[in-house]
Amino acid sequence: MKQPVLQVNNLHKTYGKKGENLFSALNHVSFDMNQGEFVGIMGPSGAGKTTLLNVISTLDKASEGTIQIAGTNITEMKQGQLADFRSKQLGFIFQDFNLLENLTIYENIALPLSLQGVSTKKIKPAVSKVAVKLGIEGILEKYPVTISGGQKQRAAAARALVHEPAMILADEPTGALDSKNANSLMETIAQLNENHDVSIMLVTHDPLSASYCRRIMFIQDGKLYKEIHRDGSRMAFHQEILNVLAEFAAPEME
Amino acid sequence: MLFKLSRASMRKSFKDYLVLLFGLTMSIAIFYMFQTLAQNKVFLESNAMIGSIVFIFHVGTFILAAITIFYIFYATSFMLSMRQKELGMYMMLGAKKHKVTQLMFFETFFIGIISLAAGIVIGIGMSKGIAGLFMWQLDFSGEGFEAFYLSSMITTVIFYVILFFLTSIVNAAKIAGKSVLDLLHADRKQDTVKAKGSWTIVGVLFAILLIGVGYYAMINIAKLMQFGVIIAAITITLGTYLIFISLLPYVVKKLKGIRTLNEKGINSFTLAQLRFRMMNLTRVLGTVAMLVALGLGAMTAGIAFYHNVEKQAGMIYANDLAIHQPSDADKQIIEQLNTEEENFYHYKVDDDGVYFLKNDLIDHPPLFKAFNPESMELPKSERVTEPLSKDKYVLGDMPDEWFSVVNNELNAGYYMFGDREISIVDQENFEKIKGSKEIVVVAKLDDFTAALPQLEKLEAGQLTLAESLTGETPEITGSKYSNYLAFKGIASGTIFMGLFLGIAFLMMMASVLMFKLLSSANADAQRYSMLRKIGVRKSLLAKSIYRELFLLFLFPALVGLVHVIVGMQMFSFIIIEPYTKIWIPVGIFLLIYGVYYILTVQMYKRIVLPKEI
Ligand SMILES: Nc1ncnc2c1ncn2[C@@H]1O[C@H](COP(=O)(O)OP(=O)(O)OP(=O)(O)O)[C@@H](O)[C@H]1O
Ligand SMILES: [Mg+2]
Repeated sequence: MKQPVLQVNNLHKTYGKKGENLFSALNHVSFDMNQGEFVGIMGPSGAGKTTLLNVISTLDKASEGTIQIAGTNITEMKQGQLADFRSKQLGFIFQDFNLLENLTIYENIALPLSLQGVSTKKIKPAVSKVAVKLGIEGILEKYPVTISGGQKQRAAAARALVHEPAMILADEPTGALDSKNANSLMETIAQLNENHDVSIMLVTHDPLSASYCRRIMFIQDGKLYKEIHRDGSRMAFHQEILNVLAEFAAPEME
Repeated sequence: MLFKLSRASMRKSFKDYLVLLFGLTMSIAIFYMFQTLAQNKVFLESNAMIGSIVFIFHVGTFILAAITIFYIFYATSFMLSMRQKELGMYMMLGAKKHKVTQLMFFETFFIGIISLAAGIVIGIGMSKGIAGLFMWQLDFSGEGFEAFYLSSMITTVIFYVILFFLTSIVNAAKIAGKSVLDLLHADRKQDTVKAKGSWTIVGVLFAILLIGVGYYAMINIAKLMQFGVIIAAITITLGTYLIFISLLPYVVKKLKGIRTLNEKGINSFTLAQLRFRMMNLTRVLGTVAMLVALGLGAMTAGIAFYHNVEKQAGMIYANDLAIHQPSDADKQIIEQLNTEEENFYHYKVDDDGVYFLKNDLIDHPPLFKAFNPESMELPKSERVTEPLSKDKYVLGDMPDEWFSVVNNELNAGYYMFGDREISIVDQENFEKIKGSKEIVVVAKLDDFTAALPQLEKLEAGQLTLAESLTGETPEITGSKYSNYLAFKGIASGTIFMGLFLGIAFLMMMASVLMFKLLSSANADAQRYSMLRKIGVRKSLLAKSIYRELFLLFLFPALVGLVHVIVGMQMFSFIIIEPYTKIWIPVGIFLLIYGVYYILTVQMYKRIVLPKEI
C-alpha cells in the first residue's frame, strides 16, 4: 500500500473582502494523492484549477480546510517555513515566467540547490544528471532567450526536479508549446513519474497532455465534479477524457 | 493611426513615463539651477573670494554638461527598452518600418520637451527655495541673485533641445537597425559587454593615467592655473567613466566565475542582476560618482571657507576676547563661558592716553601670535618672553611681542580709544596718573564659534564703551569677533555658492540612483516573484536587494570621495589648511547617503518584493 503524499481535506478558498462580493473559488474540496501518483486536474476556464494548485503549492493561503504534504500540515506554517518547504519539497513548472532570463540555464537549474546550501561540489553532478535526463545537456551555458520554447520548458522541468522534491506541481506546462514539443515534454514527465517514482500534479486544458496521467479529477465551479482512472491504453484514456469534456459542454447546448 | 495607438499606450504605461519624466525633469531643473549661478556674472564677481570664479563656473558647466549627456542617453535608452516590444508588435502586424522609426523619434522628443518645460519651472522653484534657505541660514543678503534668470533659461533650453534631438535620432536609429524579432525579444536580452582581461587592463591603466593627470593638475593648480582646471575637468570626468566601464564588467564576471561564491544561496541571482544591464549600470555609476565628487566637493569647499573664516579671524589673535571695563552683565556672561585661560590687566585712561600697568603684564604674561611674514606657516600661539626693562614704553618703541599684545590681545587701538596714546608704565608712574582705573579681561575660549551669541552681546557693550570713549560709534571694535564678522561677510557669498551647488548636485545624484531603480523595477518584480515561487525566503530576497544596492551605492561613493579629498588641494592657495574638519562635510554626506541608501532599499523592496499573503 502506497503512502499518501498529499491529503486535501475540506479545502475552501474565498476571494474578496468580508462583507463585499465574496467569491468561492474552491468549495469544500477533499481528495488524496498517493506517493508516485500522476494526477491530472481538468475543468473549464475559471473552475478553480490554478487556485487549487496555488493553495497546494503554498503560494496562496486556504480560507478553510487542511492540506498535508508528505505528512506536514502546510496550512499551519508561517511564511518563512512555507518558503523553505517549497524550496525543499516542491518543484514547479509554470506556463510562463519559468526561467530567470538573467541567469544561464545551468544557473537556473542550480538555483534550488544553491538555495538549500548544497555545496558546489555536489551541485554540478546533480545538474548534469537531471540535464541528461531531460536531454538539455548541450544548452546549459546558454541564456533562456537563445533557446527554443520546448527547451525552455524542459529546462524548467529540470529545475523542478533537480532537488528531488516530494511532489511536482505543473500548471499548463504545455500551454505554450506546439503538439510535438508538448508530447515530448509529457513523455519526459511521464517517464520521470514511472521510472523515478516522482509524484506529479498537472493542471491542463489539453486532453492529449492529460492522457498521460493515471488519474484525472475534473473540477467545476470550485467543486470536484468527476474522477476517472486510466486502466487501458493512453488512446482509450484520451477518448474517455474527451467524452467527459463533452459532458461539460453539453448542458449549455440544450 | 500609429500615433493614436502610441498615445493610447503612453496613457496605459503612464507610471513608467512618470518615472522617466521625473528622471529627466530633475536633471533639467538642476542644470538650470547651476546656470542661474554660472551665468550671473555680476553676482559671482561681487560675492566670490575666488578671482577666476566665472571661469570656474564655465568649467563646471562643461563637467555638468558631460555628465548630463551620459545621463540623458541612459535615461532615454530606458524609453527605448520600454517601447521596443510594442513597436515590434506594430511591425509584426504590418506597420511600415519608417513609420515606426518616426514614431520612436517623435515620442522621445515629445517626452524630452515636456520634461524641459517641467524642469525649468521646478528649477526656478528649487533655486528660489534653496537659495532662500541658505541666505537665511548664512545671514547673507545675496543681492543680485535671481532664481528666474532669462539667459540661463535660454542656455538650458538650447542645450536640452539639442540633446533631446540627438537622443531621439539615436533611439530612432536603434529601432531602424533592428529586426522585428530583435524588437520583440529585446527586453529579455542581456546587453553584452566585453570583459576580456587584456582590454580590461588597458582600460583600467588608461583610466588611472587620466585620473592621475587630473590629480596632478589639481595639486599643482597654483602653477597651472586655469589650464590645470581645464585639464582636471576633462581627464577626471573621462577617467571616472572609463574606470567603471572597464573595471566593473570584469569584476562582476570574475565574481560570477568563482563557483563556490556564485552557487551559494541566491548569489548567482544577485550577481546576475548586476550584470544584466551592465552598460547602463556603468553609465549610472560613473554619473553618480561624478555627482558625488561635484556635490560633496562643492559642499566641502563651502564648509572649508566657513571654517576658514574663524581661522583667518584668529590669525593675529591668540585670545578670543578682550573686554574693556566690563559691566556687571558682561562679567556674568564671561563667567559662564568655557575659558581655557582668563586674565585681567589694570590700566588707567585719561583724555590723552591709555596706560597699562607693567606689573600685571609681567605677572601674567599673555598669549600672543608671532607673525612671521616670511614663513608660510600659520602663526602659533606663544607666551610673551621679551622682558620689559624700561619704566615706560609708548606704542611706537615697544618690543615687537608687546606691540602685538597691546594691539591685538588687549585690543587697545584706535577703534576703542581714538587718538589717545597707548603706553605701558610701571607701578610708580601708574600711581601718578590721574585718570580712572579700569580693567580689561582677556580670555581664550574652548570653542570660539560656540560662543558667538555671547560674544555678540559683549561686542555690543564694547561698542557703546567705544562710543563713550571716542565720541563716535566705530563700525568695528577691532576685536577677534568683529574681525570674524568682517571675514564672514566676505566669505559668505562663496560659502553660499558651495552649499547651493553641493545640494543641487547631491539632489541630482539621488534622482539618478532613484531613476535607475524605478526604471528597472517592473522587470525586477517579475524575477523576484519567480524566485518566491520556487521557495526563496523573503528575508533572503531582501538580503539580495540590500547587497545589490549596497554595491551600487558603495563604488561611486568611494571614487567620488577620493576625488574630493584630492580636489581640496585646489583651494590650498586661498584657504588656510583646507582639510581642517573635512570630516564634518564628509560625515554629513555619509550620513545622508546612508539614510538615502536605507530609504531606497525600503522603497525598492516595497515595489519589487511580492506581497505576502
Ligand atoms: N486573486 C483573485 N481575486 C479574486 N478572484 C480570483 C483571484 N484569482 C482567481 N479568482 C477567481 O477564481 C476563479 C478561479 O480562478 P482560477 O484561476 O483558479 O481558474 P482556472 O481554473 O485556473 O482557469 P483557467 O483555466 O482559465 O486558468 C475565477 O473565477 C477567478 O476569477
Ligand atoms: Mg489557470
